[in-house]
Amino acid sequence: MSRSYFFRSLLLIAVLAIGFISCAPTELDNSEEKGAGVPQQQEYTIEIKQMKFIPAEITVHKGDKITFVNHDLVTHDITDDPGKTWTSSALPADESWSMTVTQSSNYYCTLHPTMKGKISVE
Amino acid sequence: MDEIFVTFFNNDFSNNKLKKMIMKKMTPAVMRSFAIAFALFTTTGPAMAQSNPSLTDPEVAHVAVVANQIDIGYADIAIKKSKDGEVVKFAETMKRDHTAVIEQAAALAKKLGVTPKDNAVSQKLLADADKTKKSLNGKSGKAFNKAYIDNEVAYHKAVIGAVEGLLIPETDNAELKQLLQNVVPALKAHLGHAEMVQKNYK
Repeated sequence: MSRSYFFRSLLLIAVLAIGFISCAPTELDNSEEKGAGVPQQQEYTIEIKQMKFIPAEITVHKGDKITFVNHDLVTHDITDDPGKTWTSSALPADESWSMTVTQSSNYYCTLHPTMKGKISVE
Repeated sequence: MDEIFVTFFNNDFSNNKLKKMIMKKMTPAVMRSFAIAFALFTTTGPAMAQSNPSLTDPEVAHVAVVANQIDIGYADIAIKKSKDGEVVKFAETMKRDHTAVIEQAAALAKKLGVTPKDNAVSQKLLADADKTKKSLNGKSGKAFNKAYIDNEVAYHKAVIGAVEGLLIPETDNAELKQLLQNVVPALKAHLGHAEMVQKNYK
């Protein structure tokens, strides 16, 4: 085996090795692949306007975030109906409140009980 | 029987047969509502037929503030006298919401450089409210709760009718008109809430 043949072979191995390393998935790539199957958190807004929740019914996924924005003149709240297991407490005009959805719920405003809404988790 | 509609019937109906017929058909709450609405409309009645509005914008603003103050006055009595949690909670909502509306109206009046002006409609509303307050203060227990919530149903029906049928059409300023329009859904929600509480006192 000539010396030039030996060096050429060595160079080829080095190039192939560099190519292999650069094409190998990184730690970051690997983590993204793992996360690809998990849905991203979606964000939704429910407006409180003219004494109504708009939209009154919404379908989301578990873990999604819903922000309620009070555009009315008066204070409202958003409370689980009928269990009252969660509540925004008083939400004055022009303020907002966010929640992460864990389960389907009916909700209402305890201050104005004719105002009702529904969150469905699919 | 509430003096407001006693006055109304005595002063404005000459036909006794018709008077008796209507009295028989109408519940006290409906009669009260009818009388409040009648008071609002008759006070401004002649001008309603004219092309010029009978109320100026400062007068509309005054009527709106007075109408809200009156319901706050009723709520204060209920908060003080009632021991029914639902009635008290409703009254607290009335006080909070109508105070918020007054604050909005005051802020708008300041922005527009308008001073709400006293007028015959406001005076009539206040005079009738004084009579209703005296009547409420003379009651206690279940009788008070029933009288208060019946009056709230009647009052909100009358005010919704007056705001939609009189105040909004008579308002020239777009921002004041918009404020009145924004208040109507709140009044309707109050009416719905009052009717829910009223079912406990049927």
